[in-house]
Amino acid sequence: MQWVETEETVRFNEVDEWGMAWYGHYMAWFEVGRISLLRRFDLLPRQIVDLGYVAPVISLKCDFKNPAASDDRIIIRTTAVKSEIAALTFKFEILLKENRALLARGETTQVLLTTNKKMIYRLSGELERRINNLVDYCLQDVAAQVATKAPRHKE
Amino acid sequence: MNLGASPRLECFGGIEIQKHRINWRQKLDEIVNNSEALCEYLKKMIIDTLKLEDVTVEGIDSRAPLFRKGLGLDSIDALELVVAIEKIFNVIIEDEEVGKRAFASTNALAKFIQKKYNQGK
Repeated sequence: MQWVETEETVRFNEVDEWGMAWYGHYMAWFEVGRISLLRRFDLLPRQIVDLGYVAPVISLKCDFKNPAASDDRIIIRTTAVKSEIAALTFKFEILLKENRALLARGETTQVLLTTNKKMIYRLSGELERRINNLVDYCLQDVAAQVATKAPRHKE
Repeated sequence: MNLGASPRLECFGGIEIQKHRINWRQKLDEIVNNSEALCEYLKKMIIDTLKLEDVTVEGIDSRAPLFRKGLGLDSIDALELVVAIEKIFNVIIEDEEVGKRAFASTNALAKFIQKKYNQGK
């Protein structure tokens, strides 16, 4: 399985009274990871809208393993899961950069609606092609990375 | 009509089905064209696909809505059922608009599948 990694720093304002990163901020970090993965496959939220769809999150789970503290450098790892149904599921891991200790592990699922809020039950056309590219990339064996070049970030 | 083993086992590529594809097709034709059998089959399919606990075939009212008020299914359940229906009957439910009619009740779903299945032959 191929994961995309992004780094962040835990800000002072993200820490609670007990000196630990507040639990809700992990969702924002998941979003950072998701965006960095989606960008590679032209599936950023506005690009999904350009195709005529929106993708609301309908399920979210997160297990907290270790607390992050202010100024910690963290790594957000994100991958997409293959799904038979017309939904997008991502898995996330948040690690402490200095020793790659697992801080949290989570998962989100998004369904797809047309921009006039009609849910679609089957993927088709350009949206299907881009999602398949994303999922195929994430399904790659890490050992196969040498041979397979990841799509580059378009600037 | 004896439907044999669970729909999932029969329909989702069990070895027996692979060996006897023609027999299965005939059996499917029989089920689809018998409204009562199809309705019962669909109830089994719904319970099996969605792994519904504490729900029995007898407990599902054929006229009750599958979503919200009736069986209380949600949007992910709809997506799972769409995949199962396509695999078993090769009948496609594209979106929520079509789904609203198809999933109005088990009876409605049976009628929808009968129509589309026979059109697709």
